[in-house]
Amino acid sequence: MSEFAAIFIGMVLINNFILMRFLGLCPFFGVSKKIGSAVSMGVAVTFVMTIASIATWLIHNHILVPFDIEYMDIVIYILVIATLVQIIELFIKKTNANLYFAFGIYLPLITTNCAVLGITLINATEGYSFTGSIVAALGAGLGFTLVLAMMSGIREKLELANTPKSMRGLPIAFITATLLGLAFQGFGGML
Amino acid sequence: MSAKDFLKKAFPVIILTAVVAISVTVLTYTDRMTRPEIEAQKETRTEIMLSEMFPEMSQYEFREEIYTVYSDGDEIGYAFIAVGNGYGGDIEILVGLEDETTLKGITIISQQETPGLGTRIAEPSFTDLFIGLDIADVALRRDGGQIDAITSSTISCAAVVDAVMATAMEKVKLIKASEEGG
Amino acid sequence: MGKFGKEFAKGLIISNPVFVLALGLCPVLAISTSIDNALGMTLAVFIVLLGANVIISLIRRFVPSITRIPIFIVIIATLVTVVNLIFHARFPDLYESLGIFLPLVVVNCIILGRAEAFASKNPILDSIADALGITVGFMLALLIISFLRQILGTGNLAVFGIHFFDLPVLKEHPIVIFILPPGAFLLIGLLMALFRRTGVMKE
Repeated sequence: MSEFAAIFIGMVLINNFILMRFLGLCPFFGVSKKIGSAVSMGVAVTFVMTIASIATWLIHNHILVPFDIEYMDIVIYILVIATLVQIIELFIKKTNANLYFAFGIYLPLITTNCAVLGITLINATEGYSFTGSIVAALGAGLGFTLVLAMMSGIREKLELANTPKSMRGLPIAFITATLLGLAFQGFGGML
Repeated sequence: MSAKDFLKKAFPVIILTAVVAISVTVLTYTDRMTRPEIEAQKETRTEIMLSEMFPEMSQYEFREEIYTVYSDGDEIGYAFIAVGNGYGGDIEILVGLEDETTLKGITIISQQETPGLGTRIAEPSFTDLFIGLDIADVALRRDGGQIDAITSSTISCAAVVDAVMATAMEKVKLIKASEEGG
Repeated sequence: MGKFGKEFAKGLIISNPVFVLALGLCPVLAISTSIDNALGMTLAVFIVLLGANVIISLIRRFVPSITRIPIFIVIIATLVTVVNLIFHARFPDLYESLGIFLPLVVVNCIILGRAEAFASKNPILDSIADALGITVGFMLALLIISFLRQILGTGNLAVFGIHFFDLPVLKEHPIVIFILPPGAFLLIGLLMALFRRTGVMKE
């Protein structure tokens, strides 16, 4: 049990996907101007990460390794993720059209989110068990959502502040990320 | 549906399947070509590290997680891998023994400590402190041992020291046991 | 200058992938801790980008629109796997430094983006020029960042083992933050603002 807690905390805080591992940056700077959409994105990504982790774990441990074709991992994982995102897209389109339009282009872009492919590769490299991978994916997704939410909260306020012209938009967002990152460094010696 | 219509509809799938087939072929070929080299790397790496620690080494044996090092038939020492719980993750250490009570030295194999601070455990100024040390003296100075910690990296240093000490004691027991067993 | 030159220059400054389009950021921030890593990553990206652009441009008339994205993905993923295996076998130290970011090249927005936006609609020579331009733009951005991070964060300038010089003050007291993750964000933010201020690059 404590092993799972360690994996979880590690993923959420200590080795936070965005601030420490640099995974999932595109949506981080692209989406995060409103807290609502940031959290929705975070939840969507967490969902994809978890399902993808399950699928790829099964494929890795029951097909790739036994048949000695581990080198096919990149191709297969990304196809699985792409298919998953397609299915989710269709599902959302049919059940909640508003949400679908709210996400816009960012929904298919989850396929190219480094965080999703990243967690599947990390699960394989670290050799997590089935439950371990799920815990890791949930942790990673939560950490991702957490930072996304924080960032969008800050950016909302920044829109109203008097930022120097050349700093507006992306540059100040990066500086904000620096400060968030420094704060998260403090989690380093936790475990 | 005539054959022509069917072909038209199935075309995208056929192309996709063809692309996947080509991909699998290319990858399998590349894997066959690179696998020998990749396997060989693991062997060479261990050998290089051991021979740097034991310059007179002519060969080594690996059994039950312990390397026994020989120089022209004479046993000159042992080595094993210790894993420490560092600040940023696992620290892999190669520990060399001259005999059952004395260390030959240590080499840091891999670590993810803070650059400029914890990463200095890999520098000679730290690792040299272990050369010729009695296993009993493997502890930080503040704990009564002989190892001076690096300022601002006490966690990394402590991780190394704890791992070396604990694993050394464990392995020495095994070495003594196998010697008595013949 | 001709069309070739024009496509090339476009990728370099106006549409600089890193500072202007903010694409493919994940590897840029993670890899830029040393110049060696930066060059290694550029090589990997170049091979995949060039290969993908060429192949996709060649087969563009035969690819049905409906399955084009999966096909592009398979092509890019195959190229990335090949590079991954070859680096593992031939450049093991680089392979270890790049770590997870080598396979992650497959989701690098730059590559799929160019394939979809350009190579699938343009003849092969233009696609090659595009690949070259984007790579050089990427490489320049990556080199600037990793040069600064390495100098400020470790105080020495060494490329592939060739030691150039140590900066006297920085060697003793490097500004460690630049080697750490937050420092990467800081540097890019400052550089972006600088480029905008001096008018070199626009939003």
